[in-house]
Amino acid sequence: MRQPSSGEALASALSAEYAAIYAYGRIGVRLTGAAREAAHQAEAAHRRRRDTLVVQLTTAGGVVPPDRAGYALPFPVTDRASALRLAAEVEERAAAHWRAALASTTGADRDQALAALVEYAVRATRWRRTAGSSPLTVPFPGRPA
Amino acid sequence: MVLTCPVGIGRRTQRDQASGHSRRKLLRGGALLVLGGAAAPLTGCDLFDRDDQPAPPPDPLRPMVDESLALAEAYRGAATAHPDLADRLGPIAEAHTAHATELARVIGVALPSAAATAPTTAPAADPAGALAALRALEKTAQQSATQACAAAPAERAALLGSIVAARATHQEALK
Repeated sequence: MRQPSSGEALASALSAEYAAIYAYGRIGVRLTGAAREAAHQAEAAHRRRRDTLVVQLTTAGGVVPPDRAGYALPFPVTDRASALRLAAEVEERAAAHWRAALASTTGADRDQALAALVEYAVRATRWRRTAGSSPLTVPFPGRPA
Repeated sequence: MVLTCPVGIGRRTQRDQASGHSRRKLLRGGALLVLGGAAAPLTGCDLFDRDDQPAPPPDPLRPMVDESLALAEAYRGAATAHPDLADRLGPIAEAHTAHATELARVIGVALPSAAATAPTTAPAADPAGALAALRALEKTAQQSATQACAAAPAERAALLGSIVAARATHQEALK
């Protein structure tokens, strides 16, 4: 299998950020209090990464994938429990895209990918704790199951 | 004269691993044959053990295998000392063992026995102290894995990235 280029890998990460931002829109409204605030902060983090990627890909003259009006969620979000489950899932999936970018990047770009992978994996763990699920961690964060 | 050692025996560098031969070795072998008549007596294999042909360096990920096994042992030790924590610590110990197994597979070595990597320090007497000690171990280990990931070739970067992230999530899970 051909190794995706750095630009292709970052474009894939950007698509994941779009989807994560969309998902948090559905998640936030099902949460209250500290969990809702945590969802807002998570969404803001994904927006920052999205904005950085758009600038980065544009500057490099690469393809900037467009955002879509909607994204298929892996399961319906109907209450607090399903919202928290989706939040953990969103972070793991976004982490997987950044993990995939590690192989296509070096230097500062790889550092950037690793920082995102670590941040999202840790946030997935926090969501599992909020949800009261166990175990809190997975052996290989971001690795496709 | 008798050449008692084939050219290049036991000296495989990273570069010529696929074929087992390098041009330098073949050239050196050739030079030896030319010299053979005059330069007597030749003493066995000494000519092949020259210092300018170093053994291949150990794989840079080799220490991470031991590090992962030592982390797993530290968790098992803490879980034995504090059974109340066993449910939390067990999955993390298993994750470190899984890392060691995967790293050993990638670098092509057998998984060392855990006994060789047993931690030298006993777990803290109080649960909070034990958790803090494990967090400190994970933090240091996350830093070493981060360096390894930055320096790794493409085909190893994703695995190392997952190990960095796992060690970060372990610190979070221990809070």
